[in-house]
Amino acid sequence: MSDHVQKPIVFEQDHAEPASVATSTLTFLFLAGLSCLAMMIGFTDLGAVKVWISLGIACVQGIILTVFFMDLRHADKLTWLTAMAAVFWTFLLFLFTLTDYLTRHYYAF
Amino acid sequence: MATNAPHEGESREPIVAHHFNNIRQQHASVRFGMWIFLVTEVLFFGGVLCAYAATRIWYPKEFEAGSTALNPFIASINTFLLLTSSFTITLAIRAAYKGQHTGLRLWLASTIVLGTVFLGFKAREYYGDYEEGLIPGPLKTQVDDVDTNGKPILREVSVFAVNLKHVLEHKGGKAKEISDKMTWNERDRTQIFFVFYYGMTGLHVLHMIVGIGLLIWQLLLAQLGFFKPTERFIYIEVMSLYWHFVDLVWIFLFPLLYMAGKHSMDGIF
Amino acid sequence: MATSTAATENLTESVLELDYTPQMAPPVTDLDGPPKVHYLNHSFGWLSWLLTVDHKRIGILYLIPLTIFFMCGGIAAGLVRLNLIQPYGAILELDQYNKAFTAHGTIMLFLFLIPVIPGVLGNFFVPMMIGAKDMAFPKLNLASWYVWMAGAMFFIAALLFGGLDTGWTFYPPYSSKYSHTNVLAAGLGVFITGFSSILTGLNIIATVHKMRAPGMTWGRLPLFVWAMYATSIIQILATPVLAMAVCLLATERIFQVGIFDPTLGGDPLLFQHLFWYYSHPAVYIMILPGMGVINEVITCFSRKNIFGYKAVAWSSVGIAVVGFLVWGHHMFLSGQGIYLGLVFSVLTMLVAIPSAVKVFNWTATLYGGQITYEAPMLFVIGFIVLFTIGGLTGLFLGIIGTDIHLHDTYFVIAHFHFTMVGGMMFAWQAGLHFYWPKMTGKMYSDFWSRMAAVIMLVGFSLTFLPQFIAGYHGLPRRYPYYPVEFQMMNILSTAGATIQGFGYLMPAVYLPLSLFFGRNAGANPWRATGLEWQTPSPPTPHNFEELPIVTHAPYEYALPSKYNLESGHAYEVTKGESGGH
Repeated sequence: MSDHVQKPIVFEQDHAEPASVATSTLTFLFLAGLSCLAMMIGFTDLGAVKVWISLGIACVQGIILTVFFMDLRHADKLTWLTAMAAVFWTFLLFLFTLTDYLTRHYYAF
Repeated sequence: MATNAPHEGESREPIVAHHFNNIRQQHASVRFGMWIFLVTEVLFFGGVLCAYAATRIWYPKEFEAGSTALNPFIASINTFLLLTSSFTITLAIRAAYKGQHTGLRLWLASTIVLGTVFLGFKAREYYGDYEEGLIPGPLKTQVDDVDTNGKPILREVSVFAVNLKHVLEHKGGKAKEISDKMTWNERDRTQIFFVFYYGMTGLHVLHMIVGIGLLIWQLLLAQLGFFKPTERFIYIEVMSLYWHFVDLVWIFLFPLLYMAGKHSMDGIF
Repeated sequence: MATSTAATENLTESVLELDYTPQMAPPVTDLDGPPKVHYLNHSFGWLSWLLTVDHKRIGILYLIPLTIFFMCGGIAAGLVRLNLIQPYGAILELDQYNKAFTAHGTIMLFLFLIPVIPGVLGNFFVPMMIGAKDMAFPKLNLASWYVWMAGAMFFIAALLFGGLDTGWTFYPPYSSKYSHTNVLAAGLGVFITGFSSILTGLNIIATVHKMRAPGMTWGRLPLFVWAMYATSIIQILATPVLAMAVCLLATERIFQVGIFDPTLGGDPLLFQHLFWYYSHPAVYIMILPGMGVINEVITCFSRKNIFGYKAVAWSSVGIAVVGFLVWGHHMFLSGQGIYLGLVFSVLTMLVAIPSAVKVFNWTATLYGGQITYEAPMLFVIGFIVLFTIGGLTGLFLGIIGTDIHLHDTYFVIAHFHFTMVGGMMFAWQAGLHFYWPKMTGKMYSDFWSRMAAVIMLVGFSLTFLPQFIAGYHGLPRRYPYYPVEFQMMNILSTAGATIQGFGYLMPAVYLPLSLFFGRNAGANPWRATGLEWQTPSPPTPHNFEELPIVTHAPYEYALPSKYNLESGHAYEVTKGESGGH
């Protein structure tokens, strides 16, 4: 074993320094703008599509927040995988549970 | 994590903990650990959101009415407070990374202040709901009603339903229209919306309190010079991940709880 | 030991000639006894244990209360079995019976099966197997133990003072509205222990990803680590949903509002969805670590590389993922949508694939191996047989048609006891017996340990095989009374349970005795490969003197090509060695 030369262990070489003030400010302004939009929609009466539009805006905000504020854009594949796992497993929970609620009234016999 | 940091005598504590080989490994582990924790948090809130969605599919009318009875203005202000606090904590990371200790303390303090103001507004909102009697519970009362044949009867309904009727009628406009279309059973069931409202915002508040506690601790550590070696910026960064997540939860709670009903701007003044 | 050492030295020479890997060479520390300073004696006193951040000591900290909780759960099971000797109950009142089976289920699941292997063997061996000095977050690891102890104490207190009669599933509206027992306190206990489970899982995932020694690639991870990794994935993804379900249940019970109560507009099935989103994957939390242990033991005692390393490794992850797609098979008859039930039924069949991959690979590993029957190996053989029966009967229950007949009968009881006890409990015993020399540095009695394995196997089969038959004939689970024609089956079960209980008591005697009277085990008594066996027994506080560098796959007991070419020679040597043991 001793004849093996130890190689240096390298972790997350690609991690960049924290976001610059300009980037943070832009992200913040963008998020705040989207929040304004969400409120404008919230205070108007759009009927059934309102919840989908609101959730869509929330998702966009969430992505911006994760990618820029939480610095996912500089993160390695593992962190992306972790974040995606959270989304995917939440999706599974919703998928099966809501399928039950949407199909329970169909009888097979 | 920040909680692992020693409370005093920081200078004696090595920057790289004994079981890590180098600083990169430590940074990667700490950051990754927080991401995994956030995954569990996503699933935790995912559970209640799923329950919310299932119930809303069953009772769209009740959820609309419940949301209409809430106060959307305080929530709107709170959204911006939280977004701003997310911004300030990002600046705090940068300050710690660059070794700007005054800046670090300033941004940490402003994040704490913004979070606390959020909680203050939230408390005011809860108090408002309490005053209006929008508290779900088993208390019953009797109201005048008619049965299916149009015969007047005394009907046993929850106190909550009566209060909800008053609140919606007091708001007037579309809120009153919604209220007029509801039966007493539906008013009773609107309690479920309020269970979700208190449950979800309550959990969010709990996370805020924990976050503010940790931030105060970090401010204290910053005061003691713990962040003098700039490698320790990672603890601020990890803390910020948590804080951003709390913000993210609110971003989803806001449309689901407050914007599910019909609001008008008249109520502002 | 003397003869064995001589044989081992013979082996060394032939091994090197045969171009075995360096890991095969017996470590020189075999004769040296325990090191002067090891993790057990480098500091003393209660505080040195209660404030330790050493993953090995935390493993021991888990071991002791876990054993006690297992006994509590076992006593509750004994009460239930004794009561069922007579058709109208032998010793317990009706509510006592409900409390006894609930105590058995909850204690065994939440306080034993879920934490046992991750807590003890996971904590102790995952860092050692990957060549790390400690877990990624040692303080969090200790905190996780405290959280778990707090939750467990809470839970036990709730059971002792007032009890719980909802069954381990906490189904509303019974649990939220009608039960007069300590549902809230027990629920809080489950919540807290769940938090500990999450933290342990988090720690293990971070450790596996970030703390591996140089050269320890994913293809060289021991399969126990793979299994622990898959387990941890389930722990962090599923447990929060249970926590939320318990939160909602508590809210409903405290404030008497309707989330699950149908009279107030709620839906009891909603709880079942949230609950089984956790609790079905949770059965894989229980069994996967056991499967991991099997890999380590079976390769060692057949002196062979694992058959199909990649398949076994990925089947662990496969079980973890597919395990999330099948929870509805617990709800076939509770009112869930019929078409969704069909989907769940089909998806349930998918789980059989990775499970079968594992069983086939283990049998293939046995094929042509130099098998010796030390106690750990006996437990493993028991595991494979019993788990296969348990797994195959699971298919009966996963198919929606047969499940309608078998739902909530003793067939279900027998099925999950074959997987949980016949599977997990045997795997745990295998792991405990396999790693006991490493953890303590002492060797237990060979004879009594083999006896224990056999007695457990006999007792277990006698307990649960009759329950398949009784269940198939329609004996419903959880009922205190039963028709007289089932009495023979129940008496057989109770007799088996008695034998089984005796079997479980045996390790509780000879393992502690070995601490005082056992001979020194040496660093590598089983001549196993793997990094954890390269440290002295008991290991030193920081596991490795210097950062280990890994150059080989985990189970290179023999290089297959060489092994085949000169098999005659290798046969002679190994046979001689195993005789000396």
